[in-house]
Amino acid sequence: MSRNRKGLWRSALAVAAIAGFVTSAAAQMELKIMAPAGPGGGWDQTARSMQQALTQAGIAKGVQVTNVPGAGGSIGLAQLVNNSKGDANQLMVMGYVMVGSLLTNKSPVSLDQVTPIARLTAEYEAIVVPADSPIKNAQDLAAAIKADPAKVTWAGGSAGGVDHIAAALFTQAAGADPTKLNYIPFSGGGEALAAILGGKVTAGISGYGEFESQIKAGKLRLIGLTSPSRVPNIDAPTIKEQGVDLDIANWRGVVAPPGISDEQRKQLVDAMDKMSKSKEWQAILNQKGWMDSYMSGDAFAKFLQNEQARTKEVLASVGLVKS
Amino acid sequence: MDRSSTHRRPDAAGLLIALILFVITGLIWWDMTTLQISSVYGPGPKAMPIVVASGLLLLAIANAIIAFRGGLPERESLDWKPILLILGGLAALVALIAHGGGFILGTTILFAATAAAFGRRAFLTDLVIGFVLAILIFVVFAKLLALSLPMGPIENLF
Amino acid sequence: MDAFIALANGLTVALQPINLLFALIGVLLGTAVGVLPGIGPALTVALLLPITFRLDPGGSLIMFAGIYYGGMYGGSTTSILINTPGESASMVTALEGNKMAKAGRGGPALATSAIGSFVAGTIATIGLAFLAPYLVDIAIQFGPEDYFALMCVAFVTVSATFGDSPVRGLTSLFIGLVLGLVGIDLLTGQARLTFGVPELLDGVEVTTLAVGLFAIGEALYVSSRRHLHEEKLEPVRGSLWMTKADWKRSWKPWLRGAAFGFPIGALPAGGAEIPTFLSYSTEKKLTKHPEEFGHGAIEGVAGPESANNAAAAGTLVPLLTLGLPTSATAAMLLAGFQQYGLNPGPLLFAERPELVWGLIASLFIANAMLLVLNLPLVGLWVRLLAIPQPWLYAGILVFATMGTIAANPSPVEIVMLSVFGVLGFLMRRFDYPIAPVVVGLILGPIAESQLRRALSISLGDPMVLLESPISATLLTIALIALILPFVLKGMGRFKAVED
Repeated sequence: MSRNRKGLWRSALAVAAIAGFVTSAAAQMELKIMAPAGPGGGWDQTARSMQQALTQAGIAKGVQVTNVPGAGGSIGLAQLVNNSKGDANQLMVMGYVMVGSLLTNKSPVSLDQVTPIARLTAEYEAIVVPADSPIKNAQDLAAAIKADPAKVTWAGGSAGGVDHIAAALFTQAAGADPTKLNYIPFSGGGEALAAILGGKVTAGISGYGEFESQIKAGKLRLIGLTSPSRVPNIDAPTIKEQGVDLDIANWRGVVAPPGISDEQRKQLVDAMDKMSKSKEWQAILNQKGWMDSYMSGDAFAKFLQNEQARTKEVLASVGLVKS
Repeated sequence: MDRSSTHRRPDAAGLLIALILFVITGLIWWDMTTLQISSVYGPGPKAMPIVVASGLLLLAIANAIIAFRGGLPERESLDWKPILLILGGLAALVALIAHGGGFILGTTILFAATAAAFGRRAFLTDLVIGFVLAILIFVVFAKLLALSLPMGPIENLF
Repeated sequence: MDAFIALANGLTVALQPINLLFALIGVLLGTAVGVLPGIGPALTVALLLPITFRLDPGGSLIMFAGIYYGGMYGGSTTSILINTPGESASMVTALEGNKMAKAGRGGPALATSAIGSFVAGTIATIGLAFLAPYLVDIAIQFGPEDYFALMCVAFVTVSATFGDSPVRGLTSLFIGLVLGLVGIDLLTGQARLTFGVPELLDGVEVTTLAVGLFAIGEALYVSSRRHLHEEKLEPVRGSLWMTKADWKRSWKPWLRGAAFGFPIGALPAGGAEIPTFLSYSTEKKLTKHPEEFGHGAIEGVAGPESANNAAAAGTLVPLLTLGLPTSATAAMLLAGFQQYGLNPGPLLFAERPELVWGLIASLFIANAMLLVLNLPLVGLWVRLLAIPQPWLYAGILVFATMGTIAANPSPVEIVMLSVFGVLGFLMRRFDYPIAPVVVGLILGPIAESQLRRALSISLGDPMVLLESPISATLLTIALIALILPFVLKGMGRFKAVED
């Protein structure tokens, strides 16, 4: 064990030396942010970026990040609802993926029970086809689906996730039966991308960032983005402008536990408002390539409710949720 | 070892194993029937459970036959006390983590219980060693590497 | 020849003293964190990534490579010494490696693992540098039906881990397949065998199962038999180093392991586990010492260890050429690139050659550093086994649970770990082989989802399995591997009759 201890000891020194954080002006707030996923993923990165921005901008004195992985965030949510009731210092990162997975997992807790605080970032979905595909635009794809939805295979992320929902919405908007959607879920982004590049499927759907470098290299053809209007910095048409009515985004936000007072809620909303405007947060968004889609308080609460209702409807229409 | 002549009696433990395999087969089958959604194209989510349950059924029968013939390997007597000690240590760890007792206390108890299972008599000394080890791990992983370990009264002192 | 010049440039950067220091720190940190079971190279990199944020891109990538290889090395070390696989790809290493360690041959086991990793890592890195663009074109042609066929090959070879009774081996394998069913069905999102426990929705974690069966099961079993015969561990019996015979028995498995690991690792859904299974069963078939398998055969350590290392370098092929992160570690590496605003992909080789070649050169350096550092330390590592037995096993249990908690801080996970420990104990007592359980858990879900994907794309037509040339070839290989032993046996009997 001696060698092992020495290793740990040295790492301790190295970490302390290299990672010496500089904390700026202290504020009063002590926050805990839960990432309902393991370290490394999108929610975890969001939580840790918030930690960085909140402390460096002096909005909170201390921020502690915890990970509660499992079942697309259902386990983290259950913990927030059951164990943190009324705790005004607790936040949880969540996103659109959670809305869908709570429904498909038949989770006993729901997002109606939490206190919505703010939406932070969003990424639009991109639909792509292999570069040598005869499909050139959204109309071609819609026509192929209308002709025979079974023969148009889609590669994307997990069943019931945002990719799947977007594919179902596209099928519906193209005028075909969404229950006939031939969607093939893949576990990792890389695996789905390989299937698209290898021409094993007709089309692929995922966040724009997953495809960006392939599109630029000319290996994939971008059919369009699922945004309501053109996105700055991305030279791409929207699906909507091509006459297929589709508007969906993969967003991330934060919620607080149930049972906190209006005043406590306002404090948290204020903190998020401040953070979203801070140069520290903007710098992180820039560095990570996340799109700012800030929205807080009542507006976010209403948005969350609408998303839940719409998602339930879509998932029922593709047969993933029995209503 | 000449099994054929001396151990022709049915082996009770072997039969129990076969029975457990039968029960698992039944569980998989029952769980499979509760699945409501099937795939639109290709085999659905029920196909694999059916394959696994069928295979397991055959294996349960094969295990039962072997047990009837007494074809299981010879077993030595075993000492239950250390097993209970180790499992007790693990149970203590689970209970402490589940009820906010924290990582350090749980690990301390697990260390001392396991050492006792392997014949140590100095329980207090082992508790101290386990405690120091747990604190060391906690400081390195929770504090320096920002891993989230279960918190408890001692962890909150840091 | 451009590649040679570029690589030489990369090496000169990586060989600067300050960068060598970063490599050293990376290797040490990686090994220290990687020894924890449950914390594989991916999580090690994830945890240590923030440290590298503070360096310039060159230094950061070098430290990164060090952490990565250090993490892998740490995982194998615990497999061999304390029968606790740090990650699923070093599970096979534990089979023979730990038996060697218990027989006082931990030194040669660690040495063959380190040298094999170095040899295979070097071969694979050279392959990465010169073959990547060609290999990736083939890799991308692998469709779901071809992966399913590859799984069939893997399933056939699993019998190498069965021990002497096919019924007991198959029973173990099917227990693994049952565990593989637990959780959300990937293709329809429905829960199977979760019985309403939300923690089971994500399925059974391979490391939790492996650590439970191997480490906890072993501790329970040994403790329950202490009254019969005290287990005496001698850290060193015979030579601490590899003998001439050890070298002779190791070098071929190293090369074969690299030959399995690199191409399969380069497949977008290939993974590092399957090459270790293939390598293990190949070595078992080819060895001149079949009687030693299951009791500490050095080939069974040399082959799989070099296979998993080569596979790790293989995953860099799709990452660097296409920007496809095909493993958890590759995904972390992608994050490492992205912190400098770089997106690995088809254009990276052309746009930022100095970084790509810098990374490849760093892999060489990290690999060599690990060898130079760890070979002299083998003597110290095996002394771990000289720790008095109560403390050794207590420490193993603490590290096993700690690794599991760190990966997923939930009491349910520890309950699962304990249940698997009891299962491992019972299987040892009733002489059921343990490795097939883990193999079933790994292969079952992949085989199922790939077959269902293939049939979904073909609208339910099974002929797709034979229409793809890759799949047809692999299925033929699987069939031959399945039938050949019976044929040979029959011929042997025939000959015996003739004589």
